[in-house]
Amino acid sequence: MQKIKFYGVGGQGAVTAAKVLSIAVCLYQDEYAVTVPVYSHERRGSPVYAHIIVDDQPVLLNCYVYEPDIIVVFDDNLLDMGVDVAEGCTEDTVLVLNTARPEMVDKYRRAGGFRRICVCDATGAAVKNIGLNIPNSAMLGALARTGVVSIDAVCSALRDSFGKVGEKNVDAARDAYEDTIDA
Amino acid sequence: MPVKLFDGNSAAVESIRLARPGVIAAYPITPQSGIAEHLADEVADGRIRAEYVRVESEHTAMSVAVGAQLTGVRVATATASVGLALMHEVCGVAAGCRVPIVMPVVNRSLVAPWSLWCDHSDTMAERDTGWLQFYCATVQEVLDLTLSAYRIAEHEDVLTPAMVCLDGFFLSHSMQRVDTPPDEDAWDFVKPYVRRNMYLDPKDVMFINALCPTFEHTEMKYQQMVGFGNAARVAKDVFAEFEQRFGRKLHTVESYRLEDAEVAVVTIGSMSGAAKYVVNQLRDRGIRAGMLRICMFRPFPADEIREALKNVKVIGVVDRSSGLGAAQGPVCSEVKAACYGGTTKIFSFIGGIAGRDISDISFRRIFGELLEVKDGKRDSCTCWFDTREDAMDIREVEVPC
Repeated sequence: MQKIKFYGVGGQGAVTAAKVLSIAVCLYQDEYAVTVPVYSHERRGSPVYAHIIVDDQPVLLNCYVYEPDIIVVFDDNLLDMGVDVAEGCTEDTVLVLNTARPEMVDKYRRAGGFRRICVCDATGAAVKNIGLNIPNSAMLGALARTGVVSIDAVCSALRDSFGKVGEKNVDAARDAYEDTIDA
Repeated sequence: MPVKLFDGNSAAVESIRLARPGVIAAYPITPQSGIAEHLADEVADGRIRAEYVRVESEHTAMSVAVGAQLTGVRVATATASVGLALMHEVCGVAAGCRVPIVMPVVNRSLVAPWSLWCDHSDTMAERDTGWLQFYCATVQEVLDLTLSAYRIAEHEDVLTPAMVCLDGFFLSHSMQRVDTPPDEDAWDFVKPYVRRNMYLDPKDVMFINALCPTFEHTEMKYQQMVGFGNAARVAKDVFAEFEQRFGRKLHTVESYRLEDAEVAVVTIGSMSGAAKYVVNQLRDRGIRAGMLRICMFRPFPADEIREALKNVKVIGVVDRSSGLGAAQGPVCSEVKAACYGGTTKIFSFIGGIAGRDISDISFRRIFGELLEVKDGKRDSCTCWFDTREDAMDIREVEVPC
């Protein structure tokens, strides 16, 4: 079982990404996933969360994730916004971080002691391929680096989810997957 | 059977589509909006051949549903929270006129304080309105129980409307894999709607739900009571047929590792998976823990519950609504009444109010207290679990008033 928590900012598509991840895991990896998004006083720019539990067995838990194995941070400003992304994490929790600023890697490592940080400029990959500052598809590509989901499953789920712009999102995910480095 | 990915709202829409309604009247309300909107899409795109009546309120939605179904067509509607409260009067009309409407209700807290999030205060307030009530634990069950609810509600010995309750956000917005029957297989199970002992024709105008004199009213209620009694039997038959056709087991109550259990929780709704998870953890440590999930709350399966729990020493009943002013939460009250006369100790637990998560951590705490009772280390439990220590200090007004 892998417990995953997404941290995003309203408008980045983090909740949509969680649903796409569910499709990838359930339909294209023949495993099980339960996604529990958190909807609050929605407005663009405020923090948003989604919780996903992935397993090769049917998932019993239908609740939030408190001790994540993986956290996915869609916006490197979240720490400065006062969001405690390290909550419930241990040094074994893998952080997938969207940033183009190398100094943010150390900042996040200090916050959570993460031994493994997968770093990717997902926003850059999204702007290049989709023309929009919406890094969700690219972040799923970066997440595939952790092994919890295959990049091919992510791409198939993106095609299912995004219709006419599916291929552009697939390109963003593949670029991000290739560019993700372990830090 | 094809595997599809649905959130709870989409699963409700899929089951409604498979049941081929002829009239739809729904008013959108968070977190049910996905149902009202996607039903409109299905009609616009021709996948449901129905007339979609855009109503100005839930009171009207149920009024349209009652009138339309009396003419002999299956109808669809859905609601949540204050929408259900606004519908309350007409819910009674549907039940008393024996119009077997099937309605998904996406559980959301009633005001105040204002909330968009899940608890069962909305449907618990309707528990004596004369509707069958089923509570789903997974998105798969949203599909399966809605399909089954048509068969149960519309059965000639039942003729009682049914709410299929799904937890707001925890199910309505949770994406899960759902085995979905092909259209023809589902239709062969649900079957066309057949109107029984009711009549309404726009060309032959008549008044329904006229004043019922006292010398017949008790008997009309008696008929409804008999319908509920029959629903318990019919539900068992329909669930057995469902399992035979589709291979998935549905429950009035679901026993989980209860055979030799010394401590157990009674659950309802989407919290139940976390309870099973913790039962498995405790069993791995040699602790004889179990769970009983109430899936059908109306009619209340009291005999089954008493039988399932008769050998358990200490039980915690977890309510997702506050039951203000009552001796305990509404589910606990009924479970206690069902088990009356036995030696089991039964404790009320209240939590998960207005979206507060009920997690595996919550159930570990609850089981911890139940085990201490069993071992004679305490004689009461923390009824309001996961409640902040500063409950009495928040939102205190500091200006003179």
